[in-house]
Amino acid sequence: MSLPSVALGAEALLEVRGVRKSFGRRRVLRDVSFDVAPGRIVGITGENGSGKTTLLRIVVGLLAPDEGVVRGSARSGYCPQDLAVFETLTVRENFAYFATAYGLGGAGSGKGPRPWTRTMDELCARFRFADYRESLVSTLSGGTRQKLNFCLSILHDPGLLILDEPYAGLDWETYLRFWEFAEERRALGKSAVIVSHFVYDRSRFDAVLELREGVLRCA
Amino acid sequence: MRLKNIATSWMMTMAEMRRSRIALILFFVIPSVFYAVILLITTHRPIAFRLASISLKSLITVSQRDEAMVFIGLAAVGVLTSFLALHLTQKHAEVNRRLVLAGYRTTELLVSKFLALVAVIALVGLYVGAITPIFFKPLRFGPVLLGFMMAGYVYGAYGMLVGAIFRRELEGILFIVLLANLDIGWLQNPIYYFEAQNKAVIRSLPAYFPSQLSMVSAFTYESVLRPLLGSLAYGTALLAAALLLYSLRMRLRKKP
Repeated sequence: MSLPSVALGAEALLEVRGVRKSFGRRRVLRDVSFDVAPGRIVGITGENGSGKTTLLRIVVGLLAPDEGVVRGSARSGYCPQDLAVFETLTVRENFAYFATAYGLGGAGSGKGPRPWTRTMDELCARFRFADYRESLVSTLSGGTRQKLNFCLSILHDPGLLILDEPYAGLDWETYLRFWEFAEERRALGKSAVIVSHFVYDRSRFDAVLELREGVLRCA
Repeated sequence: MRLKNIATSWMMTMAEMRRSRIALILFFVIPSVFYAVILLITTHRPIAFRLASISLKSLITVSQRDEAMVFIGLAAVGVLTSFLALHLTQKHAEVNRRLVLAGYRTTELLVSKFLALVAVIALVGLYVGAITPIFFKPLRFGPVLLGFMMAGYVYGAYGMLVGAIFRRELEGILFIVLLANLDIGWLQNPIYYFEAQNKAVIRSLPAYFPSQLSMVSAFTYESVLRPLLGSLAYGTALLAAALLLYSLRMRLRKKP
């Protein structure tokens, strides 16, 4: 996935400067700025309706800001809050579809395993849904669908992960595995922006920012 | 456009359609029911009309049932494919947008959906064409079948255009019902337009060329090149408009 890109300053994988967004008369984002350096996990929190998802949608390019600039240098992966997976395809087919989008080879008819299948197997094993690879998504539980939703955003090993409420619906064991995975990535210099309406485990983040009245503040 | 991406997306779309078994069954049941109703309500009483696209001075006289069979075959293929096209374009809008974020091009997605639609049009058109000779023997079977497929092509492209314009299903369905009922379900029947006061309106509607292609082939030996080219041009224009609007709707926002 390509972020809206302009020439970047040193270091930062993501720079957000002076972003403003209104819907009609309602000003959701007034002046939002932040950076994400390599190897950082940044949390963005705020009350329901505070504009967190709007901010993320602007950051990934799904929504245009009224003013401001978003600059990104790393390849990114985006996990939306609402499930965005194909319910009438199997787990494997969903991976194949997104692998094609990421340029990793995709489904194809060639013989032998594709490079992305190994990553899929590792992710399915790590997040404990390997038994469902051939199952239709429509037959899976909500938690397993959420795991798939998340894993589709990391199939291409992005430098920057942008996650909107990624652990909603996950069980405790998977939540812990999620953080184990995030910390391994951080050690490799990869970053994440995690949006959540509450930050449960503040010590796991390098910075937590609160979105209130359209402005980001250190929480 | 990358062929590999189109191929993958086509395979996935076909897999999804294959799993919608009841919908697939209905695709074959609905034309059969249409034909059965025509069989029940029509007779072999002769009817006379002129076809709009040919210059024959004399009237064509055929059995009421034969004329109704061609007309209802066209209507079945056109209406079914337009609804399928609407469904393919509107369904999974958020996941498709996520695929675009991940690297797919909107043209690749829409072309793959259209190719999946073509596969279904071919199947339904062949099926409708295959059962047609059970009920009557057209003068030229091949071009009649081609007319059915062109009805699928034009109305499939129309369904995609409606799907690209409207985000919600109900509006899309109503818009398809509006035109399909007027056009392929009513005005293109030569019995109706034979004495119509303003034939220009009828000639400008999407089903005009496909219905002329089938009707002229079924009941005369006149050339059908013009209705064939007209069908292709009309369908392609609708498809291009659908592609443009779909691309605009799915585009990523860059800088303010």
